Amino acid sequence: MRKLFNRLARPGVAVIAILAVVLFASQALAQEGNVYRQFLGLDSRRLVWFLAQMHLYFGAFVLGVPMFALVIEIVGWRSKDEKYDKLAYEFTSLLSVAYATTAALGGLMAFALVTLYPTFWGFMAGVFKDIMFMYALMFFFETFFLYLYYYGWKAMKGGREFGRPLQLILKTLGVAAIVFTVAFAFGTFDPEGGMRTDTRVFFIVLYFIPITACLFMVKNLKTTHIAIGILLNVAGTLIMQLANSMAGYMMSPVGVNEALEITGTTWQAFENILATPIAIHRMLGNLAFGGLVAGSYAAVKFIGAKTIEDKAHYDWMGYVANVVAVAALIPLPFAGYYLGREIYSTSAVMGNNMMGGDFSWTFIIQAMLVGSLFLISNYYLWSGMTRIPGAERYYKFIKFILFALILSFAIWLTPHNLPLSSLEVGEMGGSQYHPMLKFLGLMPAKNAVVNLIILATFFSFLLYRRGNKLVPVSIREQGKTAKMVIIGSGVVAILLVGQYALTMMTMNPADLDLPADRAYYMRIMGYLLIFECVMAVVTVVLALNDRGKLGQGLYMGVTAFNVAIFLGVWGFVVMEKASPVLRNVAVAQFLQLISCLVLVTAIDLFLWKGAKEVGTLKWGKMTSRSQYALLLLTIVITMNMGLMGFIRSGLRGDWHIFGIMRDTSDWGATPTNFVMTQQVGGAVLLFLVACAFMFWLGSLLTKANNEESSSADNGRSAE
Amino acid sequence: MKSSIWKIFGFLVLTVVLYNWIGYAITDLSGGKKDMSGAVEISPEGGETLYWGKGRCYTCHSLGGQGSAVRGPNHGQFGEKFPMPMGSRATERAIERTEKTGTPFTAVDYIVESMAEPGAYVVNGYKNEMAVVYAPPISLNLNEIKAIVAYLMVQGGDLDMEAIDTAPSEISTKLYSKIQAAQAAGGGDPGAGETVFEDNCEECHSLEGEMIVGPDLSTIGDKGIKFISESILNPAKSITPGFETYEVETKDGTKIVGLKTRDEGGEVDITKKNGDVVTVVQSDIKTISVDANASVMPEDLNEAMTVKDFQDLQAYMIMQKAEKKDGE
Repeated sequence: MRKLFNRLARPGVAVIAILAVVLFASQALAQEGNVYRQFLGLDSRRLVWFLAQMHLYFGAFVLGVPMFALVIEIVGWRSKDEKYDKLAYEFTSLLSVAYATTAALGGLMAFALVTLYPTFWGFMAGVFKDIMFMYALMFFFETFFLYLYYYGWKAMKGGREFGRPLQLILKTLGVAAIVFTVAFAFGTFDPEGGMRTDTRVFFIVLYFIPITACLFMVKNLKTTHIAIGILLNVAGTLIMQLANSMAGYMMSPVGVNEALEITGTTWQAFENILATPIAIHRMLGNLAFGGLVAGSYAAVKFIGAKTIEDKAHYDWMGYVANVVAVAALIPLPFAGYYLGREIYSTSAVMGNNMMGGDFSWTFIIQAMLVGSLFLISNYYLWSGMTRIPGAERYYKFIKFILFALILSFAIWLTPHNLPLSSLEVGEMGGSQYHPMLKFLGLMPAKNAVVNLIILATFFSFLLYRRGNKLVPVSIREQGKTAKMVIIGSGVVAILLVGQYALTMMTMNPADLDLPADRAYYMRIMGYLLIFECVMAVVTVVLALNDRGKLGQGLYMGVTAFNVAIFLGVWGFVVMEKASPVLRNVAVAQFLQLISCLVLVTAIDLFLWKGAKEVGTLKWGKMTSRSQYALLLLTIVITMNMGLMGFIRSGLRGDWHIFGIMRDTSDWGATPTNFVMTQQVGGAVLLFLVACAFMFWLGSLLTKANNEESSSADNGRSAE
Repeated sequence: MKSSIWKIFGFLVLTVVLYNWIGYAITDLSGGKKDMSGAVEISPEGGETLYWGKGRCYTCHSLGGQGSAVRGPNHGQFGEKFPMPMGSRATERAIERTEKTGTPFTAVDYIVESMAEPGAYVVNGYKNEMAVVYAPPISLNLNEIKAIVAYLMVQGGDLDMEAIDTAPSEISTKLYSKIQAAQAAGGGDPGAGETVFEDNCEECHSLEGEMIVGPDLSTIGDKGIKFISESILNPAKSITPGFETYEVETKDGTKIVGLKTRDEGGEVDITKKNGDVVTVVQSDIKTISVDANASVMPEDLNEAMTVKDFQDLQAYMIMQKAEKKDGE
């Protein structure tokens, strides 16, 4: 017990101690003026950057893996399949080492900021002092829930239901939580000056709904354990959001004047314009990252496995991890688009610098990495089809999907122009732009192909799911649940698309500084979205009348045409005639795509539920290449996280706090892409080696547990 | 297992090496680090350094085949859309403007105007969205702006350094003054400041010499930037005489706080923070006193504004000078 207490208290106490030193030291140092220092003659910027990068990688690991573990535990609990439970436990065992390392790296980073950038950090500590204490407090909560979650796993396996009085109390609290959430949604508890809608939704979806669900779901020890897992994730997410608020503030400061006098409230600093968009992006990124790290663990184990059973286990583990990761990966480009839009709204200078300035080439590297993520994920799914009897029926589609992916990838990578020699310019008729390729470098083309890549990946997933299924199951003959879920998904799809159709049909061009005749470009999109709504209705009707496959094909086809072809081309027209409407084109594409994913998935769930199978999946019958693909996915996402961090913080240019505090140090200039790849590559190498070390430690623990349980079994047998 | 670990490690190292090679190749293609520092002289060469550096002009504009940005008009000779480079284009537009208005307008005036007031002439097919180059984060000073004007003028035009620097025309002088005023106010954008004023201040303050609730601000620019900044951030610290906050307590115990906007015929009008006017009969008043530490101006006004709003508003306010009004 004392050991457990020590484990619980240690990281929290360490964080408090670091925080106290940081706050007091920074306030004292801040008096000295605009000061920069060096440690061992190193480039301070690169040193802080490296430490921050490592801290973020480990932070993403300890936030992403519990998310992943919780999802797997819930799947195991609902499906009553013990192997999911074991899988979730195995991953949770990796966390304790990573958790202490994250705290240690966080401390190192804070010390580096205090000592090397005292003026800057002194100011930040003044603005965020309340947030910093809250941050430390949340560490205690997270530590408490993490260790309770891990060490309580076996003790909270099942047991009898709790007594009615306790359940009644919990449900009453649950009702109170619902009332609170509704009141919060309507702004009853808004701070002075109000709250951004995205922040409100973030709080409701990621904090209040999960906590309310905990109160309703707790009925026995197992559900209590799941509730602890939810609270662990709530605490982790809040820690991330608190830290993000500082990163966001550096890009979009509020409540401060140019004389660096703090005039705003703590809430305003916390809820600066970019804080929530960054938090949404990181949240999804962490989930994808958690899934892929778990996948690479499975891949390493698979490659080294000696027995068929082990191969089967780790193959299955890798598959589950990849599904979770891809599910989080799909909405990520849209979260990125939202963040980019908010950055542009905050400052056109930052926005232009992002994709048209210093970082345009960095975005080309980013496109390579993100494109690779999707391409490799698809490859892994196709490889997985070799273990599915009957999947060979769908092999013929792979070449088309591959063609669509490569074509889309190539378009995504095409820059608007390239530095050319005068000879090359002459060969292109004196223009810096290629007569055809110049169009592929523009945003409408890129938006179209991103949507197509996602749709193609989704199609691969659908093929994988039905690989060994023979004939679809009649939805008409299934219970009310199937019908209600399909109709409900249809309603969600129609609401998503329909509300935007209404916006497009009623939008006043003057709102975008456009003359009245440009309304035409909005109305056309409105009609297109109405058509998409009609197709959603047709799809639902077809599905309910046992024509689900046709419905799925029709809806996916229409969506693919609308988002990739029609709006892809329309984007160019809009760009020429009414360029401010271009952002509405992107939103229209995104909404149609999401509605398609929602409705088609809902139909697919029931279409193949309990369908006759050609044969059972042959887990373990996978090539080593597929496992290297899983590993590569983890490497690529880790590199991409570092690259995106470089872009996000680099957008400030030579400002510590954008427009408020200039970076006058010797390291104020934006580094080159080569410096970025050196920094990020080094951090990736070190982080993944550290991960391998953690996996090894985890395997020692698993081995010890297995030996312990087998000796206990032997002891019982001897008795 | 050992051999597979080495294979995996080798795979990881290979991927990281490839990543670095891509970074190296792209840096080789796209150039070195972006240094935003360094003072430059007022010359086309200085302007070139700023155009492709601190001024960030290249993020929206290209110059002929140099650069790749298309958000703003190309500043060089480029395709059918831009048959002339910027210098000669400015000369042509200046002639058009002179003919249209009857007031002499020079090529230098045109380029200065495009930086000081980008919305004054928007090239067909482009949006009025140019950043304020003399405000943060770009924060070009007046000499740096003059250097860029010189750089753009030599793109097919005649360079006249006197017109740019030592003896600018009346129009350029006015625009330079605007830039300097905005810079003195923290580099805000006076145009955007006007909108901030309309949204936050217009209800109580006039710029036309009238008294609404608060004092008229038509000449507040003459009082200097410190006074303006203090009036927004800490309104109680610098209350204009005649706009003191009164606290009235009536005989039935009611307390009313606000401006005394009328005191005649045995009645007193108190205008509260929210604009409501309460009329109190003199005989009902128990006490009436001035609260020197309070202002009816909203104290949280600065909280309702972003940093940019605040800077923009300051820039707009500093331009409200008696001299300007006389000139109009």
